[in-house]
Parts: sequence; structure tokens; C-alpha cells
Amino acid sequence: MVNLTIDGKQITVSRTATIYEAALEAGINIPVLCYAKKLLPFGACRVCLVQVEQMKGRLIPACTTPVSEGMVVTTMSDEILKVRKTVLEFLLVNHVIDCPVCDKGGECDLQELTYDHEVVCNRFQGEKFNLETDEVNPLIERNMNRCVLCGRCVRVCDEVVAYGSYSFINRGFETKIATAYDRGLNCEFCGQCVSMCPVGAILPRPFKFKARPWQLKEVDTVCGYCGNGCTVTLGVLNNKVETIRFNDKIGVNDGNLCIRGRFGYSYVNSEERLTAPLVRKNGELVAATWDEALQAVADGFKQAGGAGLGILSGARLTNEELFLLKNLAKQAGTANLDHSGGECYKGLTEGVAGALGVAASTGTFPQVEECEAILAIRSDFYETHPVFGMVVNQAVKRNEAQLAIVADKRGKFAKLPGAKTLLHRPGQELEVLNGLARVLLDEGLARTEGVEGLDELRQALADFSAEQVATRTGVAAEALRETARQFAAAKKSAILLAYGLPYTAYSRELGIAAANLAILLGIPGRDGSGLYLCGEKANSQGVIDLGIMPQAGGLGAQAMLEAAANGKLSALYVVGEDVLTSYPDRGKVEKALDKVSFLVVQDIFLSPTAAKAHVVLPAASFAEKDGTFTNAERRIQRVRPGIPLPGQAKTDGAIFAALTEKLGGNLAFTGAEAIFAEIGRQVPAYAAVTFNGIGPQGFVWGGEILAPARRRLQPAGGATAVDGAFQLLTGSALYHSGTVSTRAKGPLAVINEAYVEFGRDDAKALDVKDGDQVKISGNGVELCLKAKVGNRLPKGVLFAPYHFAAAGINRLYKGEAAVAVTVSK
Amino acid sequence: MFTAIAKGLSITFKHMLPGHSTTVQYPTVKLKPSDRFRGLHRLVPTQDREKCVACYLCPTVCPAKCITVEAAENAKGEKYPRVYSIDLLRCIFCGYCVEACPVEALEMTAEYELANYRRADFEFTKERLLR
Repeated sequence: MVNLTIDGKQITVSRTATIYEAALEAGINIPVLCYAKKLLPFGACRVCLVQVEQMKGRLIPACTTPVSEGMVVTTMSDEILKVRKTVLEFLLVNHVIDCPVCDKGGECDLQELTYDHEVVCNRFQGEKFNLETDEVNPLIERNMNRCVLCGRCVRVCDEVVAYGSYSFINRGFETKIATAYDRGLNCEFCGQCVSMCPVGAILPRPFKFKARPWQLKEVDTVCGYCGNGCTVTLGVLNNKVETIRFNDKIGVNDGNLCIRGRFGYSYVNSEERLTAPLVRKNGELVAATWDEALQAVADGFKQAGGAGLGILSGARLTNEELFLLKNLAKQAGTANLDHSGGECYKGLTEGVAGALGVAASTGTFPQVEECEAILAIRSDFYETHPVFGMVVNQAVKRNEAQLAIVADKRGKFAKLPGAKTLLHRPGQELEVLNGLARVLLDEGLARTEGVEGLDELRQALADFSAEQVATRTGVAAEALRETARQFAAAKKSAILLAYGLPYTAYSRELGIAAANLAILLGIPGRDGSGLYLCGEKANSQGVIDLGIMPQAGGLGAQAMLEAAANGKLSALYVVGEDVLTSYPDRGKVEKALDKVSFLVVQDIFLSPTAAKAHVVLPAASFAEKDGTFTNAERRIQRVRPGIPLPGQAKTDGAIFAALTEKLGGNLAFTGAEAIFAEIGRQVPAYAAVTFNGIGPQGFVWGGEILAPARRRLQPAGGATAVDGAFQLLTGSALYHSGTVSTRAKGPLAVINEAYVEFGRDDAKALDVKDGDQVKISGNGVELCLKAKVGNRLPKGVLFAPYHFAAAGINRLYKGEAAVAVTVSK
Repeated sequence: MFTAIAKGLSITFKHMLPGHSTTVQYPTVKLKPSDRFRGLHRLVPTQDREKCVACYLCPTVCPAKCITVEAAENAKGEKYPRVYSIDLLRCIFCGYCVEACPVEALEMTAEYELANYRRADFEFTKERLLR
């Protein structure tokens, strides 16, 4: 700690603090322009100049100067004000000052500083730039005439996003921020630069000219897409979500968002939203009253009888709604309850739960930034959880963490400095993880105190020596050994694994293998370390916590679909999921939906699944709900309604309550608060906090480090290799999440249809170019898809994202790790 | 006493003589208000469009909340008011909107004959204000 005096105030701060940070701690505000909390100090703008007694003779930039013992700082004097004013005048020499038409007007740092410092005229004159604006892409507009060269966009894109779209080009007065070769922006479109720009040089295009910042009502809620649980602040005008506001004050994401969070909000305002219940009459779905629809559903459920009804839930309902759903299932007398395809989450509920006794990630996201070694299983981790990916970026770029990726393709992570990709043949993650575990055991690096099942694991790993694994997976034996040694030596380490609907194969085994590795490395329960199993959807963890899984004697999702297809299940209730598009094996789902005599779908859009239903109930999006989501690190966060429900739509919770009542039950809750209290009585982990006690940072149940109940190693069977010259992988694309993002303009503007991705070598060999139509056949199905050529894929591996209903990737993908396919033009 | 009465009445009678009345025969005769008079608003046109750039400062400053602006992008990529209307029934003619305008696109004219028959007629749209 260091003692110093700022404006006569004695303060003690950490020795790593800068003068600016020290002043902020003391409640003294120094104006800044190029400083941003999450970026490294830069010192570009010189607005934060202060006087330091020990460094007389010149003014010192507060944001880059570290504090030292006995420093005496003055932040405000006539001289300082004069200099700051001059600095602002310099900044305004080239600035176009088009505030009336600039969307930043009202929240512009330059505007505010100019106003505060009363810069009413400029003593200097210079050329105003007349550069063309970059409007090539549909999401981010760049008007470099307004730029003040603070470099915040350059730095955020490099330090946090690790994409590196921008750089300074030219020198002196000609300096500007540009992309490679000064072409238009073509990147991940996460919009981090938009959120960082202190002026109106980089703005969100979907929000162009829509409103002034002061007109917007701000509602802090949680993003409805992935399990990362980022806080998004809805900017609401006239009951419409017009934009997502920058907010780094609260939440786990530190103001970082991905394209889905920042630009994927528009589906909530969509014209295609369901606004009234629909009931099938004479083969047609027609609008009906709520009473009629609910009565029809209740009658249908009663007719099906308890065991004849199956309930499939999505993982984007709030915890409170899930609780009501569980009660509804009880009231309807059915034990057939499941979510998300019933398979993909088993790594957590069976794998990790079996190993550690807890079905959740053991650490929290911010800890990963401090980790020395990070193992990402599947490169798709950045695609499914981009904002968590940004934490990994920062760990690697700032804290020089060792990153190893067990993947079948070279994703975004592979490009990070020092990242090591253990590139294996498709579907062989399990082998690599087992290989790593074997190395740890062979070399005596494993931590085995208090660990059960060590001998069984040793036996099971007999065939997984580094060399054997190397021949089977294609990962060099030495790379395996090196990685294992690296992780054994690290004091803090993290293992990351994403799960979700397109990652069904070996989900349980992968969970076990990841847990084994974590146990052998001593990760569970160790300070700063963690095993992270991250769900694909916003409330994937909540669904597991609340037990939306087959009840005693009930059927799981796949069993329900089979039973329905065989006529053994007479009613199916699908809530908040387009099962036809997202579940593996569309043929099977289609058969089940066609065969089932009573299908009820509750959704916000008339999805392909809903189009088959007998009754469609219009539900609410995340922006219309009150309740809580639990993110992938067990953080319970408040979801707040920003806009009213469209038409007659009701929240899922209200529908469940009404249905329960129709079925003769009674669910008298006054609101989300009362339900949350009731959840606490049934799920002990949730009892530690009250609904209103959930703070701006949420509440992490089980604490920052979740203590494991046990450490049991379990054998996880090796995966079988897929034959064939070409192997198709499916998964999540960075720009989309689930199926609902295909209704949002932002993600659609970047990727609007399904594609199949080729590596350069394969594309050359097959003479396939970007945009060609190619035929992919496998599993007895032929699909015609647009080709996309990239650098990510090794030879013989193809990739197709699963989000698009029309493409029908899941006709081909039946839950395997990879599908052997043939390609023809 | 009589002289005082006569003096007073003479003033009264003098006003009866032609040319000594302050009454203006409105509507046949109309007064020209002062240059600083705050009457009906006017949106200033340029050659091909309105000068207004839809910055939203006038609806923001308006104490009566009578101005509605909706911005949009025109074919040239410029910001323009797709909707601009003033509800004169609410307007208190304070002139803050004119003062707030950064591009001098709004003026207040000498027009003061604002009576009308229908409520809707007091809604002054962009077309009516552009004169």
C-alpha cells in the first residue's frame, strides 16, 4: 500500500494504482477521455493532466502515472484548467462538431468536457476532415471525422476481444483509425468498439437516428441468449427495445457483450411474434380466446392421463417459471418432464455430479482471468460463450495464461498468443482428455489425496498411453505430455467445456473425463481454479438446479419422442423450444410430433414445431419477464421486464399458473418474489438469498468456489472414430444462439442462412468456392447448402451450424460427434 | 368645481371624436405585432428540404411537451425529421424551442390568428409549419 495526498486528502491505495484510480477511490473526479476501466492505461488524450508536487515543472497525466509514496497531487488549479481547456481546443480543431445529427449527442464524453470547461471558441484553426464513413457492414457505422484518436476501440478489440480489427494508420495530423488496408469493417461485430467510443465515431447502425439517449428508459436485465448471463441494459422508447445500452457498472460481464447481446435484441419487437392463442379447427390454426385455448389444453391433458403426457421445456424460462412448470407437471400427474433434448446436459447432471457431488461449475468467471493455465475443450467454446471467451482472452493476453485447446478445428482461441491447439480427429475429445489424465497418473503429477476410484481409472486408462492416444487422435504424444505437465505445475487453472443441443455426443463421458482431469489436477475446491461446464441457454443452470428432468419413473426427452412416435404418448407439451429445428435427428422428432394426438406448443414465434401443434400458446420473451436466471457459474440474477407483452400474450409463468388452475390445482403466488421464496424451500442452495436481496452483481449460490462433496474418479469410455473421407461437425456459430437469434435482425445481417464450412485444402481439392451450392449427403439424407471457405478446419472436416430451421442440419445430424458424409457439387 | 367637471368630460368627449380611439377595428384592421412577438412557429426551409436536422432539442426543452419529432435517414444518408408536429393547444409560446435550435431551423412568426374549429386543426404538422 502507498500513502499519498490528493487535493489535501490523505489516502492509502494499492501500489499498482494510478493517480487517476487513487483519486477515484478518494471520490475526486479527474476528467478523462481515453481512459477506460477495463483497458490498460494509454495516455492519448492528455485531458487528465494533474500537478504533482514532486514532479514540478510539467503536468503529469493522471491515468498513466503510478502512485508513489508521499506523492502530493493537485487535480484542480487555474493552470491545470487552462491547460485542459487548451487540450480540448486542440481536440476540437479537426472535430466536425456535428452534434445535432450525431447519435452520441447527450452522452458524448467530448461534448461533456467541452461544456464543463466552457470551451466556447477555438483559438486554433485547422482542416476539418472529410473522410468517408464506413457503412459497409450493417451493424457498426464508423465516422472517422468525429474521432479523437483515443485508441479505445483499438485497445478493446485487441486486449479484450483479441480480434484486432483496428489500428492507427498514417502519422501526424493524418493519423486515423483504420481496418486492414483501410477497407470496411469485417469482423465479429461484437460492438465492443461501439461501447468504448467516447465520441460518435463508432455507432450502432440499427439504432441510427432512432432516439436521443436521454429519451430512453433504461432497464437492467439479463441477456436471454447464452448461459453467460451478461447484464444487458435495455434502452426502451415507446414500449419498444430500441437498443442495448453500455453498462459496466453491474453484472458479471464488465460491460462486454457479443453480437447476440448487443445487436440480437430485435426479435422481441418482431411483427411475427405470436399475439393470441391459436387452436386447430378443421386442420387450420385459428385465433382463439385464452379461456378456449386453456380449456382445450386442460381437456387434452386430462384425456391423455398422467403417464400419457410428456413435457419438453426449453432452458430460457426463468427459475420461477420452471418452478411453476414442475408444479404443473405434478398437477397433471406426469413424471415425463425434461429439457434441452435430455442428453446434452448429462455431462453436468451425471458426469460432474457423479464425480464431485455437485451439478454445477465450481468457480466463477472473473477468477479465470487470474488463471495460469486454461484448458478449453472444443474450440466452439468461444462461439457458444463469447463473453466468457473474452475473459479467457484477457487471461492470455494480459496475464500470460497458458491456453490449451482440445479441439477438432482451429477456432478463435487458437489464434491467441501462445495458445496450443491439441487438434484431434472429429469426435475424439474424450480420447485426448483420457490421454491427459493418463499422463498425469504415469508421471506422478496427479493429486490423489482423498480421491476415490483411482485404481479403477488406472485400469480403464490402460489403453490410453500418450502414444496410443496420439495414433488414434492425431495429437502428438509429446504435446499431450507437455500440456499435462503445464497444467500440473499451474497454481490456478481452469477447465472449460460448453454443452448444448448440438453437442449431444458423449456428453456424459465428456463431463466425466473433464471432471477426472479436474480432480487429478486438484482443481475442484482450490482457490482461483475451477471446472466450468457452461450451458448453451440463458437459464441452463437454473433448469438443472430446479430439476426439470425426468421425475421418478418418468421418461426423458428422447424416450418421450420415441414413445410418442410409437403411439404410447398421447399428449406432448413443448415449452419455449423449437424442437423440430434444434433437437438432433429431425426425422425422429417429426415422426413423434406427427403421431402424437395432442400437441401443445408454447412459444413466442410460430416456429416449425408450433405450426404442427393443436394448440399454440403465445408466451413472453426475456425482455417482458420478471424473475431470475441462473448463469453457468451459478450466479442468480434478476430479469426485469422492460416492455409490455405483445397483444394477448402471457408470460410462461402466468400460463403455467392458469393451466394448473384449470387442472384443478391451486398456485396462489403474488409474484416472482413469492415463488422465489418457495424455490428456496425446495432447492436449498437458493435459500441463501431473497429475491430482493439479489444485488447488482447477482448472487452466486455455493460461493465463489463451490466445495465438492467428493472426489470420485470414474472411467469414461473412449469414443469411436468416424470413418469416411469427410466428416461433418455441427455446432453453434458465433453470431447465433439457439434458434431464436434467426429472428433477430442483428445476427441475421451477418449470417442469414445455413452454410457448410470447408477448410482451404478441401475447398481447393473439391474446387469449391465461397458461395457455391454443395450437396452434402450422409445418414441417408442429402442436404443442399451454401459453401463457406475458411481457415479453421483441418482436412476432411466440415462444419455446419445448426440454428437455421430451413436448412435442416438435424435431418443429417442424429446426435453423433461427427457424421461421415460425401460431398458433391 | 364646475371647471374640474368640464375638464374631465372634455377628455371623455375628446375620445369620442374620430381619430382619438385606441380600439382597432379587428378583423378589418389588423395590427402588426412587434418583431419579437412569439406567434405561430415556422420551420425554415432550404432548397430541397427543411433546415431541421431532427436533433430532438426542441421536444426536450419544451416545457409543455407539445413537440413531436421522429428522426429518419433520407436518401442522402442525412438525418431529417420524418415527423415534426406541434400541438398548438398545448403550446405556451415560450419560445424555448427556437432558442434551443442549434441550426436555426425554427422561428416564431407574427401569425397570431390561430383559432380553429376542430381539435385536429391545432396539430401543426411539418407540411403546415414549412412556409
